[in-house]
Amino acid sequence: MNGLTNPIVFYPACVVMILFALMTINFKNIFYSLISAIIVFFLAGMFFYVLGSEYNAIAQVLIYGIAVPVILGLSIMFTENKAKPEKNTEKGFNFKYFMYLVGGVFVLAIIYIVMTSNVVVPDGFNLTGCICQNPHSILSAFGEGIFLKYIWAFEIVAIILTIIVAGLTLFKKGGKS
Amino acid sequence: MITMYHYLFLGLVLFVIGMIGAVVSRHVIKMLISIEFILTGVNINFITFGTFCDGIKFDGYIMSLFYVAVGAVELAVALYIFYLMYHKNKSENVEDYGDL
Repeated sequence: MNGLTNPIVFYPACVVMILFALMTINFKNIFYSLISAIIVFFLAGMFFYVLGSEYNAIAQVLIYGIAVPVILGLSIMFTENKAKPEKNTEKGFNFKYFMYLVGGVFVLAIIYIVMTSNVVVPDGFNLTGCICQNPHSILSAFGEGIFLKYIWAFEIVAIILTIIVAGLTLFKKGGKS
Repeated sequence: MITMYHYLFLGLVLFVIGMIGAVVSRHVIKMLISIEFILTGVNINFITFGTFCDGIKFDGYIMSLFYVAVGAVELAVALYIFYLMYHKNKSENVEDYGDL
């Protein structure tokens, strides 16, 4: 049983992902929303990895798990509205206890990984066999796909990125003058 | 036994949560995070199809990669518009943004 079809991998991660996605919308404090969103993006990267797409998993974790939250966090810090502070309307939910729960889950996960890496474990509970081993050479396949099969899409995306960077720079200069 | 439809359903749920968040939220940053959820849900579907369907083995992966790039660009543009609107209105609430 590999990671694709293993319910021990799928269901807990799925439940945690949906829960954190709902909490992202529900939190009044935008920083808590951002932290929940980071967990959702990391779990999405884990799903990509389990599905056998390591390259996409790395891109997901690096871009959505790290780079985008850093930009969003800086935006939140630099645009905090001090003139009209929002009233905290959150009631009946203490974030502290929730963080204790998340910490407990992480500690249990670490204990589980340590236990499964050492000795005999029950059949179906060994995480080492859960990752989908991709039989293809994924980097060469990506190279072939991007530079041969989808060369036009690749070039269009590159041109869009260049236009965006140049446009933002010009907007910034225009705003200053 | 987990099948392809489980992963597709997960992508659908994430897509719907993102859509609800984008409609309901009033904070601009939260709206952007919800839009990223929509993109992530679509990405999960792309990679699921790429993994389970033999005929399109790596096409789903590559489309997902393009989608990540376009999503990052979209976020950069949206944040710049937010920056301009914030300097004009001094508020993160989208209800205060009457004009572009």
